[in-house]
Amino acid sequence: MSDSQQPSDFEPVDVFAETDGMDLRPGSDDCYKCSTCDTNCPVAEVDDDFPGPKFQGPEQWRLKRKDDYDIDDSITDCSNCLRCDTSCPSEVPLSQMHNTARSQYVDNQMSKLSVEYIRNRILSNYRTSAYLASLFPRTATFVMNFGPVRWVMEKGLGIPSERDFPEFATTTFRQWWKQRGGAQVQNPDKRVAYFHGCYSNYNTPEVAKALVHVYEELGYEIMVPEQKCSGTPMFANGMLSDARRHAETNVESLTAAIEDGADIIASCTSCSLALRQEYPELFDIDGIEDVSNHTYDALEYLRIYEDLEAELEGAKVDFPDLAYHAPCHSRNQGLDGQALELIENIDGVMAEDVGDSCSGISGTYGWKTEHYEVSMEIGEEMFEHMEHAEGDVGMTECPTCAMQMEHGTGYEIKHPLEVLEAALVSEE
Amino acid sequence: MAIEDDVLVIGGGLAGIAAAVGAHEQGARVRLVSHKQSTMRQASGLIDLLGYTPDGDGPVVDPFEAIAELPEGHPYERAGLDAVRAGIDMFDDATGEMYAGSHTDKNALVPTHGGAIKPTARYPDSAAPGIASANGDTLFVGFDSMIEFDAPVAADHLAATGVPYETDGVTIEFPGNLRDDAKVTRFAHLLDRDDEVAVDGTTMPVRTALAERVKEHADGHERIGFPAVLGDDHATEVRAELADRLGASVFEVPMGPPSLPGLRLEDRLYEYLHEIGVRVSTGNPIVDVEQVNGEIDRVVGDHTGREVPYKAQQYILATGGLVGKGIDSDREGVYEPVFNCHVPHPADRYDWFEDGAFDDHEFARFGVPVDTELRPIDADDAPEYENLRAAGSVLGGYDFPSEKSGSGVSLATGYAAGELAGDRV
Amino acid sequence: MESSTGVLVIGGGSTGTGIARDLAMRGVDVTLVEKGNLTHGTTGRMHGLLHSGGRYAVSDQESAKECIIENRILRDIASHCVEMTGGLFVQRPQDSDEYFQKKLEGCRECDIPAEVLSPEEAREVEPYLATDIERAIKVPDGAIDPFRLCVANAVSTENHGGRIETHAPVTDVLLEDGEVVGVEVTHESGPGKRVHGNEGQTEKIYADHVVNAAGAWTGRIGDMAGVDIEVRPSKGVMTVMNARQVDTVINRCKPKGDADIIVPHETAAILGTTDEEVEDPEDYAEEQWEVDLMIEELKELVPILDESRTLRSFWGVRPLYEPPDTGTEDATDITRQFFLLDHDDRDDLPGMTTIVGGKFTTYRMMAEQLSDHVCERLGIDAECRTAEVPLPGSENTGVLDDAMDQFGLRSPIARRSKQRLGSRTEEVLDVDGPNPVVCQCEGVTRAELVDAIDQSGTDLNAVRLRTRASMGNCQGGFCSRAMADLLHPEYEEAIAREAYDELFQERWKGERHALWGEQLSQAMLNYALHATTLNADSDPARLGQDVDFAAFDGGESASAERTGTGADAVATDGGHDGD
Repeated sequence: MSDSQQPSDFEPVDVFAETDGMDLRPGSDDCYKCSTCDTNCPVAEVDDDFPGPKFQGPEQWRLKRKDDYDIDDSITDCSNCLRCDTSCPSEVPLSQMHNTARSQYVDNQMSKLSVEYIRNRILSNYRTSAYLASLFPRTATFVMNFGPVRWVMEKGLGIPSERDFPEFATTTFRQWWKQRGGAQVQNPDKRVAYFHGCYSNYNTPEVAKALVHVYEELGYEIMVPEQKCSGTPMFANGMLSDARRHAETNVESLTAAIEDGADIIASCTSCSLALRQEYPELFDIDGIEDVSNHTYDALEYLRIYEDLEAELEGAKVDFPDLAYHAPCHSRNQGLDGQALELIENIDGVMAEDVGDSCSGISGTYGWKTEHYEVSMEIGEEMFEHMEHAEGDVGMTECPTCAMQMEHGTGYEIKHPLEVLEAALVSEE
Repeated sequence: MAIEDDVLVIGGGLAGIAAAVGAHEQGARVRLVSHKQSTMRQASGLIDLLGYTPDGDGPVVDPFEAIAELPEGHPYERAGLDAVRAGIDMFDDATGEMYAGSHTDKNALVPTHGGAIKPTARYPDSAAPGIASANGDTLFVGFDSMIEFDAPVAADHLAATGVPYETDGVTIEFPGNLRDDAKVTRFAHLLDRDDEVAVDGTTMPVRTALAERVKEHADGHERIGFPAVLGDDHATEVRAELADRLGASVFEVPMGPPSLPGLRLEDRLYEYLHEIGVRVSTGNPIVDVEQVNGEIDRVVGDHTGREVPYKAQQYILATGGLVGKGIDSDREGVYEPVFNCHVPHPADRYDWFEDGAFDDHEFARFGVPVDTELRPIDADDAPEYENLRAAGSVLGGYDFPSEKSGSGVSLATGYAAGELAGDRV
Repeated sequence: MESSTGVLVIGGGSTGTGIARDLAMRGVDVTLVEKGNLTHGTTGRMHGLLHSGGRYAVSDQESAKECIIENRILRDIASHCVEMTGGLFVQRPQDSDEYFQKKLEGCRECDIPAEVLSPEEAREVEPYLATDIERAIKVPDGAIDPFRLCVANAVSTENHGGRIETHAPVTDVLLEDGEVVGVEVTHESGPGKRVHGNEGQTEKIYADHVVNAAGAWTGRIGDMAGVDIEVRPSKGVMTVMNARQVDTVINRCKPKGDADIIVPHETAAILGTTDEEVEDPEDYAEEQWEVDLMIEELKELVPILDESRTLRSFWGVRPLYEPPDTGTEDATDITRQFFLLDHDDRDDLPGMTTIVGGKFTTYRMMAEQLSDHVCERLGIDAECRTAEVPLPGSENTGVLDDAMDQFGLRSPIARRSKQRLGSRTEEVLDVDGPNPVVCQCEGVTRAELVDAIDQSGTDLNAVRLRTRASMGNCQGGFCSRAMADLLHPEYEEAIAREAYDELFQERWKGERHALWGEQLSQAMLNYALHATTLNADSDPARLGQDVDFAAFDGGESASAERTGTGADAVATDGGHDGD
């Protein structure tokens, strides 16, 4: 292998003190204008107000001079699905360009008093809202979806009344973890630190529990370090300083776990993507490369370190057939085929791919009134394919994709770890 | 643990897909790994076998005849004429109704979006009604904001090539007040869904509105050609409706990039891989190789920074050429970045090119040389690895833009490499 | 054909267009002739530095003082051509403290504002600077677009009644009774705008006075007039980077040497240069080592250059001149001063004055002195106004920044258009109907291209110089065809095709020097797009080839019908030839 012949990577984060002051013009060197990114953009396909990732990325950057601060306001129409990143045949740092430009736009051109800004801040700080809601989960679920409250949200904040707020769990994952007395398996040789993210803590602890059961069944010692939001919704809203604050906490506690011999696993593909890719691209924090290098998607990790095919040999489950959607952020990590390949090995359950379209929600994007229609239009292809699929239960790794799938089809949505749990873990 | 299969194909373009099918048909368990999206989306979607000989003779009428005459070292010669037939047959099977041209060995002449004609062996069914080697007065329709296709220029250019029929071109405004920088996928999506658009103070479905605008220019023309944006998932339906409303056959003029015909082809071929059961992993570059006794033991994929091993008995390199980054270069030299295979090239960088843009450039032929088993060979003509084969644009020794042989070489060498690899597991 | 004029100026570079404007503004009837496009010679082949004078502050203080004065004037009168980037003289560990100190003092002696920056301060200005630099001096260097400047001078000349003829090489100097009375030019495509396919013709232009401002070619004009002008052409390479790694002019702070300057220029950065005497200003070697030297040396200042993409390289030839018998051995030591040679005084040949040598930054002052001289010769009493009156495009530019969203363009496109068009923005961009971006790399819209075509006919290279279309990272791969399409239907398709081929070949010429890494990929993609997708290399229309259409696949239905009496089958006589 000829690593020495490869030109070294473009790492602006090492050069600039401030992320939102990063100059990414040199990143346009890799663009040869093939427009593959544009043909993959789910927003540009339905909304011509959005000029596509090529313009928003390498073109807009290359046209900049030092004192040109203005960013085209269409940057806020990007849903941050990162499909452009995956598609670019030439390593253009598209999402890094979009994230940085969006942050500069928010800093310089967006009024801090505007409804959009306040709304975006609330949406991107989901963890805070979720934390508050978790104190009174039942009330919160009711109030958030209560007609008059939603009317105020729509009119006052631009949050579409069509959307149902997710239910809050009566016991969060972390409460459950504490109640059960933490890790049930001790194993200094097989140790993982679980980055559960906000959603499986506050809304779908059953996914987090499935992960714990599967990993413990395979002999892993699980750590659940202190953690904040991975930052995904903040990147998407140009709130890089918020994201950085959260990242500092995460990097500190995850680095400590790595020192204890653990690898980091995540059950949400947006979280793992943030830790792996966006962190080192956007922030220069001590240990951040280390965190990136030790982070895995939970299924991916098992596929690499366990002989899952052998483990699943003869496994039989009683599980409804599934319509599977691979989230954009799993595609971005090269993980789009793994869930289906795993399930092929399990008797009693069938999963069908609903195609490579985007669900359209992209985290907080579909939660904005101005993007709701576009979000549903993007999702339509997926909804159609789900309806056509045999199964009447959906499956995906991404919590917001799950929300959109449920919203568009009314299906219940499962996580692949739940299937794996059913196949590997015997009921007590 | 490694992710394990019989045959691992590295690269997801036309050659990689052909290789995966070839190996699969030999009964092997096949995985295709690709890094980024293939250059198929950049190409016009036409499947050229051979349009001009390496000496520049042409347009070639019968590519199979001409291929039989190619010199030693040309990828077609390495793979053999039977492989060319097998590769194109595989393509015909995989694409079915979507492509035309299989009824004859002869090339068709297809109008390009600049208005020149180009010899090609297979063409999308969407382009079929417009071929220049069939007769019929033709109207080209362009859209005001779409600079990729200037219909009046293309019409005049086509006339200048001497086609024995009338050509005309008109530029109209696409209905629906799209922004000037709307992407081709935006047009296609609108037409696919037949969305309502605002036209002259009222709204109507976009296909109807488009047909209305073209109608006044349509009279007397037997065929009407549009830039290749006529739908994506429902392209046949879009064309049929327009043809019906206009009373003429309707076709697309291939463009690119970005190219909808290329995109549709890519979708179709991946669907085919899925149907036959080839496993596909995308988004993962192969970054390292481990060898044992002159054979590749396993390769290492990069999952956003994480190293993931992939193991197989046979490997196929189909990573593309200079455009697809299967061949890379710096000021010092030219190399193949995955296996570091030998890439012959002049030591002096100023011998890589000639003075005119369309002269006989050395760089156009950069790539790995192979033996007749399609195994990359080193400077002493010995195989680099016993269990590695190469296919498509990563191969050296041919100038696909000038020969118009890109897709054909990919299909022939890909399918042949796949069969050979599958046969050995 | 014959015509007459007051003053005939030979040479469409900065000096020539500057003189033409100056004289025209003084009310003189002036005609300018240029063998190629405006800026065809040295002006079009420079790095676009607007000198603060800092470069000459030690070696040539007189030039340095002229530079800072003209620098200030050009910021006013040519604001849409100038970007005040500021400049740094950067000291590396191996560069002497003594010279650094001399440079600083020299700047102050010449009234050039100069400030010493610590390495940290310098990197705050330019983050991509090397981490091991010692310190830097900040001076008011700037970047200037020579094309835009010359075009603005030419437009101003025409606005004042002057005549500009490009693609009109001088084929003879007309002498009568031992006096220069005019020149003979050969219009490559007839007088006026260049249009492919128009027939060439010669014109004798009689003039009261001829000004030879032909730069590196002044000696050739001298030969035609029978006088000896010893120009010593010296070549220098410039390498164009795809993006701006720096926004400030970066100079290496050392006495002299090759590869010591990086100039941010529009969307690119230009690395320069070398200084090597050549025999012939039109025929000299363009070599790999020169390009490699730029990168190897300048990466010492800005390390990222080593892995950055270069788009192309070009060479310029400086028209250096020194008075007879000076005999400087090393071309780098030849003076950068300019000389005004009155051939009556010098060679007893009345009717012609030659201006040679000098620097781009001081072109206006040179033009003023030359014009003063010619007016004196012709007995014209008129004041020079070029230091006060803004060039077309640079009037009222302050008003422009108000509405960035005008004209329905995305803001970066609107911004770049305004940076190029200055006060002409509204006039050019305010069009009915769609105005798509044609050159995406540089953000050039159809309206701007149509405006440039109005000015320059079918010469797409002239359009390129006016707009920067096709000068970005794809080097015309994606836009050259679309640019040519705009010529149609005013000009025939065959002419548009010829113009497109010419532009594509011109782009290739410079791109050849950047063929590795990303740009080699780009070149292969461009080749594939033009040869494979468009078949531009084997196009029967271009080759004048007859094609037997009936011999090819006539489609599935036709092949079935051909055996019968299919109405759709192509006539077997092979098309148009058989009719």
